[in-house]
Amino acid sequence: MSRLNRRDFLKAVTLAAPALALHAPWAHADGKSRVLVVGGGFGGAVAAKYLKMLAPQLDVTLVERNRVYVSCPLSNEVISGHGEIKDLEAGYDGLQKRGVNVVFDEATAIDAAKRTVTLKSGTTLAYDALVLSPGIDFNYAGVEGYTEELANGDLPHAYKAGPQTLVLKKQLEAMPDGGTFIITVPPGPFRCPPGPYERASQVAAYLRGHGKTKSKVLILDANDSFSKKGLFEQAWKTHYGSMIEWVPGASDGKVVKIDPGTKTAYTNFGEHKADVLNVIPPHHAGSIARNAGLTNEKGWCTVDMLTMESSVQKDIWVVGDACTHGDLPVYPMPKSAHAAVTQAKVAVGAILARLAGQPAPTPYFVNTCYSIAAPDWGFSVVHVYRVEGGKLIYAQEAGGISAIETPALTTLRKLEAGYALGWLKNIMADSFA
Amino acid sequence: MGIRVAIVAFLAGLGTWAHAADSIEALANTCNNCHGVNGVSVGPTMPSIAGLPQAYLTNVMLEWKSGTRFSATMGRLLKGYSDVQIADLAAHFAKQRWVPQAQKLDEARVRLGAQSLKRCEKCHGNDGLPRDGETPPVNGQWAGYLYLESLKYHDEAVGMSNRQMRGAMKRLRDEDLRAVADYYASQK
Ligand SMILES: Cc1cc2nc3c(=O)[nH]c(=O)nc-3n(C[C@H](O)[C@H](O)[C@H](O)COP(=O)(O)OP(=O)(O)OC[C@H]3O[C@@H](n4cnc5c(N)ncnc54)[C@H](O)[C@@H]3O)c2cc1C
Ligand code: HEC
Ligand code: HEC
Repeated sequence: MSRLNRRDFLKAVTLAAPALALHAPWAHADGKSRVLVVGGGFGGAVAAKYLKMLAPQLDVTLVERNRVYVSCPLSNEVISGHGEIKDLEAGYDGLQKRGVNVVFDEATAIDAAKRTVTLKSGTTLAYDALVLSPGIDFNYAGVEGYTEELANGDLPHAYKAGPQTLVLKKQLEAMPDGGTFIITVPPGPFRCPPGPYERASQVAAYLRGHGKTKSKVLILDANDSFSKKGLFEQAWKTHYGSMIEWVPGASDGKVVKIDPGTKTAYTNFGEHKADVLNVIPPHHAGSIARNAGLTNEKGWCTVDMLTMESSVQKDIWVVGDACTHGDLPVYPMPKSAHAAVTQAKVAVGAILARLAGQPAPTPYFVNTCYSIAAPDWGFSVVHVYRVEGGKLIYAQEAGGISAIETPALTTLRKLEAGYALGWLKNIMADSFA
Repeated sequence: MGIRVAIVAFLAGLGTWAHAADSIEALANTCNNCHGVNGVSVGPTMPSIAGLPQAYLTNVMLEWKSGTRFSATMGRLLKGYSDVQIADLAAHFAKQRWVPQAQKLDEARVRLGAQSLKRCEKCHGNDGLPRDGETPPVNGQWAGYLYLESLKYHDEAVGMSNRQMRGAMKRLRDEDLRAVADYYASQK
């Protein structure tokens, strides 16, 4: 390859080797294939980084709205004062150093036929392969009376970490002893299935730790069960007595309306007055994906389970919270940072194979979600998937939740509370460094 | 170089992307978000696994898979992989370089650790370098991880199978466990 550069090669391919013309759609006058990544969260950052790591000659551009990313994982611990938001922040210089072209802008439209993405600034970027990892956006209309303005004001959902996380923390700190902290949970799927329950635990940890033991944490849930339920309930009983109450959908837990003025949450038949009202509205795939027509009737992007390529639009790969993926309906992949990262690595493999005109490699998907329910009290759920007969299946013999009954209970919980912190550092580095 | 040869070479070059992704590296990359890129951890409670002895890697992973070795997380993960995949992972990470991590450590505690090594030195030396295929290097391993790992040997209820390690840890107080962890973590 020494005396022939990429441009010569591409010329050679088109002139001399029609059999290799299958590469032609990917070939460009400048000799580089262009991969565009929209969304620089866990999924998008890993995609951009691994594309550059595995194929340094690729032209990789990442479009991200914000200059600083704030990790949602461990943001519940910020609310309780057990963590600092600055430890959850990452910039994009790590990716830039790796040669990723980072554009701070918002993608506003995708033209799949022309293979272009338009940005808010007016620029249009062309791609040969597009990775979308826009995360979620909220359907505020799903809870009557709730709006984006309220979320950015006095009623933060704090389900995208950042300024809202700190507002919610302040509200918790200001809550008098005997007050009620209400968390409303939307119908699934939502990002981070254990997230609302971990948040309830952290709120209770704060209240316990500050002697506000007459207070109450009320979870009003649209669903009838939740992730790691047995583990959470054990932790709640062990650490918080009856401070946390969970009301499932079947017991009229679904919140349909709120009154922001009085901080009252209305279910179909009841009403609950809060001192702090934390509404988590229903969500759907990031709007850019929805506007491009990539979502199903439930608002999520369907993908090829083995490659993450959109099942609606060729040459677009969707990873992370925005997609619906996994061993459906047996065991869908949870919307987690860990899932987003493994999905992005699979998409990278599939894209590089496509560019090389080869079949996609065998994908490996795995997920782990650690939750910290009290100081020194963590646990996890693990999911492993594998390909069998061309289909993605959930490996039943693996995965599952941390042991509930074990003689080594306190040691085990302490270990996983510790591992959760190291996990975050490594996944942040895996994505952004 | 003739054009055809060049094309073949180029395709082979492209092929290595795809091949790399199809090989054990694709599976090993799934370990990165807990163990760090290429197995070099930057998270103080998660172990670096790059450069651990192959025999040790194979052994602990197979024990986790079969359920004979206690773990918080790893067992549930490895039950999903074949023995061949595990052997390939062990070979892959054993090939990497062991990278001791520079860490913020309390100097007084490191000194206390240096004085508490008499139950450890026989096997880990005073430098923490690997001595045989069974004993992993602990020099420059993350202190947070070493401490958590020592809790497993300290708590009889966990039932770690290595009796000598259990015996060595048993009589140490919590502060000694932290001190020896910090000491070995400070070694290069
Ligand atoms: C409270 C809470 C706790 C959590 N805890 C955990 C945990 O412990 N473990 C875990 O694994 N997961 C956890 N999660 C879930 C995790 O945060 C998400 O699953 C993960 O962030 C998904 O990554 P993503 O890349 O799909 O989306 P995101 O991380 O949300 O990234 C999307 C990015 O795209 C950008 N973007 C969107 N649209 C555009 C556009 N049009 N143009 C430009 N940029 C755009 C956004 O600015 C954002 O930076 C938690 C979530 C919450 C809310
Ligand atoms: C979800 C996080 C997570 C992932 C993913 C993960 N590990 Fe681990 N690993 C851990 C934890 C936690 C420990 C400590 C052991 C335990 O209690 O589970 C560990 C320990 C280890 C150790 C022992 C290190 C030592 O010094 O003794 C090895 C080896 C290992 N992991 C290999 C792997 C390999 C190979 C993969 C990828 C196939 C992997 N791990 C993926 C969390 C993870
Ligand atoms: C008789 C030999 C022996 C003695 C004495 C001994 N160790 Fe170990 N140590 C081992 C072996 C072997 C292993 C691997 C054990 C296994 O696979 O379960 C190990 C593992 C460890 C680990 C876990 C490393 C990892 O990567 O997971 C730590 C930490 C450790 N030893 C610290 C100590 C300390 C501290 C002492 C002294 C208090 C000590 N050891 C005494 C042989 C010994």
